[in-house]
Amino acid sequence: MALRRLGLGHGIGLRTKHFGRFQAEPSPVEWVEVVAENFMADGGRPLAVLEKVRRDTPVAVHGVSLSIGGTDPLSEPYLRDLRRLVARIDPALVTDHLCWGAYRGEYLHDLLPLPYTEESLEHVVRRVAAVQDYLGRQILLENPSTYVAYQESTLTEWDFLAELSRRADCGILLDVNNVYVSAHNLGFDPLAYLDGIPPDRVGQFHLAGHADKGRYLLDTHDGPVAPAVWDLYREALRRFGRVPTLVEWDDRIPPLEEVVAESRTAAAVEAEELAPALQEAS
Amino acid sequence: MTLRETQAILSGLITEAADPDPPSLDRIFRGTDELAPFDRIAIYRGMYRERLVDALRETFPNLARFLGERFPGLGEEYVRRHPSEHHDVGKVGRRLAAFLARYPDPERPDLAELAELEWARNEVFFAPDAGATGPEALAGLSPEAAGAARLSLSPTLRVLTLDHDVLSLWRRLERGEPPEPPIPGPTAAAVWRRGFEVFHCALSLHEAAALSSAREGAPLAAICAHFADRPDPAGEAHGAISTWFVEEWVASVSAPS
Repeated sequence: MALRRLGLGHGIGLRTKHFGRFQAEPSPVEWVEVVAENFMADGGRPLAVLEKVRRDTPVAVHGVSLSIGGTDPLSEPYLRDLRRLVARIDPALVTDHLCWGAYRGEYLHDLLPLPYTEESLEHVVRRVAAVQDYLGRQILLENPSTYVAYQESTLTEWDFLAELSRRADCGILLDVNNVYVSAHNLGFDPLAYLDGIPPDRVGQFHLAGHADKGRYLLDTHDGPVAPAVWDLYREALRRFGRVPTLVEWDDRIPPLEEVVAESRTAAAVEAEELAPALQEAS
Repeated sequence: MTLRETQAILSGLITEAADPDPPSLDRIFRGTDELAPFDRIAIYRGMYRERLVDALRETFPNLARFLGERFPGLGEEYVRRHPSEHHDVGKVGRRLAAFLARYPDPERPDLAELAELEWARNEVFFAPDAGATGPEALAGLSPEAAGAARLSLSPTLRVLTLDHDVLSLWRRLERGEPPEPPIPGPTAAAVWRRGFEVFHCALSLHEAAALSSAREGAPLAAICAHFADRPDPAGEAHGAISTWFVEEWVASVSAPS
């Protein structure tokens, strides 16, 4: 089954700090993304805000605790909560990360990298298929920001992700900032990464800020998108065309206008990059 | 090495208190001249502690305010003994009050109850909405039928019985005032959500007992019996139960037909 790329346009993450604005006003962006685990509660303000927003704005549900690469069994309570949220919200996209984050029932609440081996690939393919069957829909998996690689890896991350998306029939959420951060930290070419990703599998882009810690880059989501990441976003647009793009801002969150402005910058960059191609096509 | 074995190693490296052994890391992880495997694992170790301590700080803001620089140490020790077992990082603190009760600070035995109060505030914030009914639900009932009626309390209400006045401590910390010494003495509190806002207030012990009876499904007559030794039993019971309706603590009333 092919991945149907949606024409969602440009969005931002829906965060607690901006709940009041989203509750009182029309959405200032074309779509929003919510962190699934923050909305799995039985009631309260987060769900009420989300239910109001979803009436006129498409929503993507973005998980952080699926642990698709984990070797614990898939968590039934988690999947049940996720399915309940998905049924309640009817999101445009359901996404999580290519990573693992729990071991022996203990959650590390991190997006830990996998060794990219054939064993890992077969393992993750099986689990993605199980999750998609359970949810009755395709999911998209995001490339994590990474600080360490394994001696035993035999595949690159992009080859792993590409092969996974084909074998498991899932989509790819390409986090452009994560490609940049991981490339810097692990010493690979970010353009080679983009070249290795099958365009027909890319269903969403992420953009976010990171911090330069001197010897490495940290994926902090606490500031504007870095100039080098904007450049890489342009490269991604040239390769993948128009893809729903979301700006994440999760820490030191500024006023809503500033986050929206970052999303509008992404829209402007997209228009600039894709205008020549559109002109040629017409 | 199997995938399971690799994850056992990395999970241990991240969560264990002791620093890992660099030569053993080099066999498993790739490094560069600039950043050795030891330094790379240290990034994950630091992020793990920071993320969980931040989650605890968000749930227990006034406990964190009280402990100041001691809070991260407490958080790390707690997480070592009670790692997160839930996919929502916001639930990592569910055993913190019990942990503080088991290992109390001799000078501040009230901190466990401060944590209990803040955890209850967190719980009701996310509790399911059940709606509320007014006192009219009891109107028109005969005295016998009213006495047999049962109140279903809102899931957005918690009743706490406490050994210290931590409401006062919480209020001072919330206002940024210096905390007073512990104030021992049996007391009780109600914590509830109305709309999207969370409140708490002190309760008399007999009102707390009456609410607990109501929660257990006791009939109204048995609930009112908790006020029997008060100077004005009927008046106080009526006053208390009227307040429960006003504060939207009563989700529904079932009366015998």
